[in-house]
Amino acid sequence: MTAAAVGARPHGLASRLDELLGRAVSMRGLALLRVLTGPVVLLHLQPFISDGLDGRIYSDAFYEPYAAWYPELTGAAYVGLLLLGAVAAVAMSLGVLTRLATAATFAIVAYNVFLSTTHFHNNRAYLLIVLGLLAVAPSGRELSVDAWVRRRRGLPALDTSAPGWPLWLLRFECAAVYGASGLSKLVDPDWFGGTVTWQRVVRARDDLEAWPLPDWAVSVLTDRGFHTGAAKFIVLTELFIAIGLWWRGSRYAAVWVAVVFHVSIEASASVQVFSFLAIAVLVIWAVPSTRDRVLRIDPTAARHRRLGAVVRGLDWLARFRVEQAPAGSPLEVVDRDGTAVRGGPAVAFVLSRLPLTAWFALPALLVPAVRRARSPRAA
Amino acid sequence: MRRVVVVSVVVLQLGFVARGYWSDHKEFGFQMFPESSTWRADVVRVTADGRRVPVELPWSGYRWDELVQDRGLSYPSVRHHADAGLDNQLAFLDAALDWVADNTPRDRETRYLEASVTAWHNDDPPRRELLRSGVRGGAR
Repeated sequence: MTAAAVGARPHGLASRLDELLGRAVSMRGLALLRVLTGPVVLLHLQPFISDGLDGRIYSDAFYEPYAAWYPELTGAAYVGLLLLGAVAAVAMSLGVLTRLATAATFAIVAYNVFLSTTHFHNNRAYLLIVLGLLAVAPSGRELSVDAWVRRRRGLPALDTSAPGWPLWLLRFECAAVYGASGLSKLVDPDWFGGTVTWQRVVRARDDLEAWPLPDWAVSVLTDRGFHTGAAKFIVLTELFIAIGLWWRGSRYAAVWVAVVFHVSIEASASVQVFSFLAIAVLVIWAVPSTRDRVLRIDPTAARHRRLGAVVRGLDWLARFRVEQAPAGSPLEVVDRDGTAVRGGPAVAFVLSRLPLTAWFALPALLVPAVRRARSPRAA
Repeated sequence: MRRVVVVSVVVLQLGFVARGYWSDHKEFGFQMFPESSTWRADVVRVTADGRRVPVELPWSGYRWDELVQDRGLSYPSVRHHADAGLDNQLAFLDAALDWVADNTPRDRETRYLEASVTAWHNDDPPRRELLRSGVRGGAR
């Protein structure tokens, strides 16, 4: 290798990084995440607002400021700010003055979280990250009242693509959440060895016995040996999600596992808004391009029309163009690579790409007949 | 500029993750359900004349469970799970002692608050620790 080549490498890497960060990609995933994050913010602010309206705010009981200089609102001003945050969250979700509403939501939630060390929790840290990145991304050009108003006024639609760096950064943060959590358990012998989960379950045995579980299940769940394996399974699950999300081959499996993981956590622990937020964030892993798959339906066939309606209503990530085929044509989906799938496998494929039905439909793609139908050779 | 922002955020995030291994509060460290550790504490007010009064008894119109409502600290004498780890929990208890000492102006007899903590880190044997608030001025 020559000295010139060695010297050129950092420049090449920097150029490749700049190209990646500046590459125009669809902001549809972030737009959908913006819509979904509004209710999460309301859920997050609700206990603060409820206490405030009852006349109790953070400074009435133990709290610990991060810094003496941090401005502390009290009384009606504090409650008013929280209410403003709730209004901003609704506006952000609806896409009314989207950029301003998202920035205001982020600022108010951040202000409240940093008021006291006691306000800080992992789920709120994640919420701050999501709001911060939504605030810097142009996520209001679709799925928003702003876009609707532009259309009503006859103004040309704004470009729904933008430099992808906020999306890549949010993907990094999403993976970091699972990765950091999994790694901290992996390097802790008590966690990886099963002591932590075993003790937690044993101490909650009374709660466990209140569940409609057979005795043998309670017995297994409180068995030390079971947790020796279960803890490793949990740790590896988190690490699989963190890593699996990055590759197309494992991404759908990672998303599917992540949903199960969060539903399990929500059922067994109190994690505030973490489960809802984490499941919502999974939409950013969709390939950031839109309408690059074609669904061809026969408008004279009732089943085709029904699927067309489902896709028009639930294709929130704008994966499909729905086209009409001549009467008597089979239902057909053409994937990005040109692979055409027909009949039942096409239905399974379509449903596996809609956010609301994906979790249920993805396992169907493993059925041999569907796999064969989707292989390029079959096309 | 874009590159600087992205690299800075990535480095900062990795720094926060690393900091989570030694910091009490672990902000942005994302260590979820870190321990099964538990703790309990006998918290008392030590008065100017040397009495040690449990905080479970209301004093000067104050109640501990009204003054300290967050982070599982309302009933310290009951053995609790340390949700975010022992170090985090005891840092909050320590800060709560200081806050109560500083924010109970009607109390003119307490010199300081003291917590005798028994902590069980996962399945390790218990360890004992003494936490004290700052000394209050003007106690009689």
